[in-house]
Amino acid sequence: MSATAPTTTPVAPPTEALAVDASPANPWGRARLLVALRRVVGRVVAAVLVLLGAATVVFLAQTLLPGDRATLLLNLRSGEAVERTAAELAPINEQYGFDDPLAVQYATYVGGLLRGDLGVSYQRHAPVAEVIGGQLWPTAQLALGALAAAWVLALVSVVVTAGRRSRAVTAAGSGAEALAASVPHYWLGVILLVVLAVNLQWFPVMGGTSPAATVLPVLTLAVPLAGFLGQATRDEFDRVLEQPFVTSARARGMGDTGVRLRHVLRHAVLPAITLSGWALGALLSGAVIVESVFSRPGLGQVLVAAVDARDVPVVAGVVMFVAAVYVVANVLVDLAYTLVDPRRRS
Amino acid sequence: MSTHARPRPAVRRRPRASGLRPALAVALLAGLAACAPAGAEPAAPTTGEPVEGGTIVHAHVQEPPCLWGGWIQQAYLSRQVLDSLVSQDEDGEIVPWLATDWSVSEDQLVWTFTLAEGVEFTDGTPFDAQAVVDNFEFWITEQGNSTVLAYLGTYYESSRAVDPTTFELTLSRPYSSLLPALAQAYFGIQSPTALARGPEANCEEPIGTGPFTVEGWERGSVIRFARNPDYASAPANALHQGPAYVDGIEWRIVPDPVARFGALTTGEAHVVYDVPATQWTAAEQQYEVQQYITPGRPVALGLNTVAGPFTDVRVRKAFAAATDREAAVRSAFLGVVPFEGNGTVSASTPGYNAEVADDHPYDPDTAAALLDEAGWDSTDDEGYRVKDGERLEVRIVYGAGSIITPEGATVLQNLQEQVAEVGFQVTLVPATRDELFSGKFSGPESYDAKPGYWTSPTAGILHITFRQHLEESPNFSNSSFYNDPELEDLIVRANSSLDRAEQDRLYGEAQQILSDEAVSIGLYTQTTSLAVDPRLNDVWLEQSQGEPVYHDAWFER
Repeated sequence: MSATAPTTTPVAPPTEALAVDASPANPWGRARLLVALRRVVGRVVAAVLVLLGAATVVFLAQTLLPGDRATLLLNLRSGEAVERTAAELAPINEQYGFDDPLAVQYATYVGGLLRGDLGVSYQRHAPVAEVIGGQLWPTAQLALGALAAAWVLALVSVVVTAGRRSRAVTAAGSGAEALAASVPHYWLGVILLVVLAVNLQWFPVMGGTSPAATVLPVLTLAVPLAGFLGQATRDEFDRVLEQPFVTSARARGMGDTGVRLRHVLRHAVLPAITLSGWALGALLSGAVIVESVFSRPGLGQVLVAAVDARDVPVVAGVVMFVAAVYVVANVLVDLAYTLVDPRRRS
Repeated sequence: MSTHARPRPAVRRRPRASGLRPALAVALLAGLAACAPAGAEPAAPTTGEPVEGGTIVHAHVQEPPCLWGGWIQQAYLSRQVLDSLVSQDEDGEIVPWLATDWSVSEDQLVWTFTLAEGVEFTDGTPFDAQAVVDNFEFWITEQGNSTVLAYLGTYYESSRAVDPTTFELTLSRPYSSLLPALAQAYFGIQSPTALARGPEANCEEPIGTGPFTVEGWERGSVIRFARNPDYASAPANALHQGPAYVDGIEWRIVPDPVARFGALTTGEAHVVYDVPATQWTAAEQQYEVQQYITPGRPVALGLNTVAGPFTDVRVRKAFAAATDREAAVRSAFLGVVPFEGNGTVSASTPGYNAEVADDHPYDPDTAAALLDEAGWDSTDDEGYRVKDGERLEVRIVYGAGSIITPEGATVLQNLQEQVAEVGFQVTLVPATRDELFSGKFSGPESYDAKPGYWTSPTAGILHITFRQHLEESPNFSNSSFYNDPELEDLIVRANSSLDRAEQDRLYGEAQQILSDEAVSIGLYTQTTSLAVDPRLNDVWLEQSQGEPVYHDAWFER
C-alpha cells in the first residue's frame, strides 16, 4: 500500500437507519421521511463541499507554484526549457486567461464547476470530462478487480489459518499477511512481469486492457491490500473466536468450518469493510505505478501527465473524481455495516 | 582552425551475427537460441524481395499529448503521417521530397521551390503551393509550432504561391541552414482543410500526404496507423516509391524499460525504442540494433557566465580540468553512449570541430593551479576551496527524467565526486518537468550550471544556443548567458554562407571560441536507439533527427 496507509484501523461511526420505514400506516412516517430527507440533503451538500474543497486546493497549489503556466505550456509544446518573451506568451495567456487576477480565474473555474463544466485540458485541447471518461473504465476495472481479489485472498488466509491449534499454521498465515502488506507495488509488479509475462509468457507483456493483461496488474495491487485486510480481519477473528456465542454454537454441535464462516467471520469483517472504503481511493493512487509497469491506460497516467504539465483542469478533475470515490465508498461502507451487523439497523 | 573532420555518420547500424562468415554465424545463432528467452527464434536468412502485409508493433517509451508538434517525441509520430518539403540523406545531402527542385536568389533571400504534382492529402485536399503557404502562415504567423519559430522566427519574411506548383519563401536575412531545418518532421506539411478543424482534431489526427494515416488513438495505450494505399510521394532517399509494404503500425506506449525490452523478447513487439543500457549486449546479439547519435548540441553542462563562481573563466576551466568526463560517462552508460568532449556541437553534426573535443583533458593539477590563480587558494576543514570567507559552491540544476535520464544523473554524480577532490562543492538539484519547463530555473540567479542538449541537423544550432541574449532581442536558449558580438558575427556569417567549406571553417572558429572560454562542458551525445526483430527488414532512422521510418519496412515470410 502507499505510504498513506493508516496505521490503525479507522472505524466509521455507524450510521443510523438508512432504510427508512415510510409506510403511510406508520403515524410517524412523515416525520421520519423528513428526517431522512434532511440527512440525504446534508450528505449531498457535504459531498459537494468536499469536491469543491478538493478542486480549490488543487487550483491554488498548481497556480501558486513557482514558475509560469504559459511558459510551461509553450515549452512543453516545443520540448525546450527556456524563458519566453511577453510577445510569445501573450496568445496563451489570453486563451486561458492566465493574465486575469487569481480571484477572477478561480471564480471562472468554480463557476464552470457549478454548471457542471470541468473545463478543457490545456495540453490535449479536449474537455476534461472526456479526458477522464475515456480512461475511467480501465482504472475502475483495475481498482474493483484488485479490491475483490484482495478480499478473497485475505478471507481465505484468515478463515483457513487464524486461531488454529497449530502455532505453525497461524504463524504462517499472519506472516504471509505481514509480508504481503509490506511489499511495494513497483517491486511486486516488476517481479510478476519478469517471471510470469517475460519468462514464462503466461500473460502478455503489453496487452492493454484485455482480460489476460489485467490479471497481473490486479494481482500487483491486490496482494499488498490483501495483507492489510487480512491483518485487520485476523485480530478481530481471534477475538471473536473467544466469545461465548461461539462456544455455544459449538455446543449446539456446529462444525468448525460452519462456526468460522457463519458466526465468526460475520463479526470479524467489520474492520476490513471500513478499510475498504479507504482502500478504493488508495488503489487509485497505486494505479499510477502499476499502469506504468504494465503499460496500461488509465487515470493514473492521465494524472501524472497532467501534473507534469500543470494542466490544472485535468489535475483538479481527477482529484475531484478520487474525492468522489472516497465519498461514495464511505456511504457504501455504512450500508455494508448495516447489512452485516443487524444490530445497527435499529 | 586547420582540419575539420567529416561528421561521423549519425546512424550506427549493428547488424546481427548473420553478417559474419556463415559457419560462425550459424554456430553463434545456435548458441544464442539456446540461451535466449523463449520466443526469440533465430532469424531465417533474408529472402530479398519485399513482401506485403503485416502490422509492425513498435514499443515506445512515452506518449506526447498530441501526435504532432514541436517536440521530438511528436516528430517521431508525425513523421509517419506527414511529408516534408525536403529530406536529408545519409551523407547529409538534401534531396527532393514534396519539393522536387529548388533554387535561391543571388542575395540568398528568396527561395523558390518546385512542388510535386498530383499529390493529395489523405483527406482529399490537393497538395499545392497554397497549402505550403498556409502551413508556413500557421507555423509562424499564428505561432502554431514553436520549434519552427525557433528556427525560422528571426529569418522569416513572407511566403507566397506563385502558381500551384511553385512556392516562394522570402527571408529577411540569408540562412544557409534552411534546407536541413526543413527536413525535420516539425516542418511536415499538413492539409490546410485539416488545420482549419481546430487544435483538438489536429492534435488527435494530423492529416498529411504521408505513407500512413492515423487510424485511432487509445490514450495511454496505443496509437494505430494504417497504410495510405495511394501514397506516391516518398522522399528521394527512400528505398522504394509507392505505398508502404506493411498494413500498418501499432505504436504501443510502454514506459517501463523492463516491459519494453520484454515485449521484444516475447515476440509481442517487433521494434523497441530506447534500448536499456543493461540490455544492450543481449540486444546486439539477437536483434538489429540501430543507434542514432543526435546531431546538434550534445548533452553539455552550460556554465553560468554572468552570476556565481563561473563568471571567472579560470574557474570554468578548472571545473573542466577537474573532471574525468570520459570515465564518468563510460561507467554510467556501460560504454553504450559515446563521450563528447565538444560542449557545443556533437560529433555527428556537419561542421563539427573535432579538435576542441580534447581542449579540456582531465588534469587535477591544472585545475588546482587555476583555482589558486583565481583566488580560491585556501581550503576549509571539509576540504573545499574558500575565497574571502566563501566556499566554492556550485549548484547544478538538471531536468530529472525530462532532459537527463537516470544514467545521465549518474554521470553528474560521478562529476560531483571528481570535482570534490579539487575543492568544488557541487549541489545537484533535480528539477521536475513542470518546474523546469515553467521557467523556475531559467534565470541567471537560479543555477551555476545546467545540462541540456538540442537536436538539430546543422551546426547552425549555434545561432539558437549562443546568439547574444540582449534586451531588444532576448535569447533564453543561451543557457550560459554568454554574450560575445564577435562570436555571434561568426555564426551569422556561417549561417549566411552557401559554401560548405566556408561554413565549416566559421562554425569551427565559433566552437573554438566557446571552447577557449569554457562556456559549455561536453558530456555525452544524445542518442536514440532501436532494436528491431530480425524478421522485419529495412527499418531505418532518418538523418536529421533519427525519426524511425516504416514506409520501406517489410516482414520476411
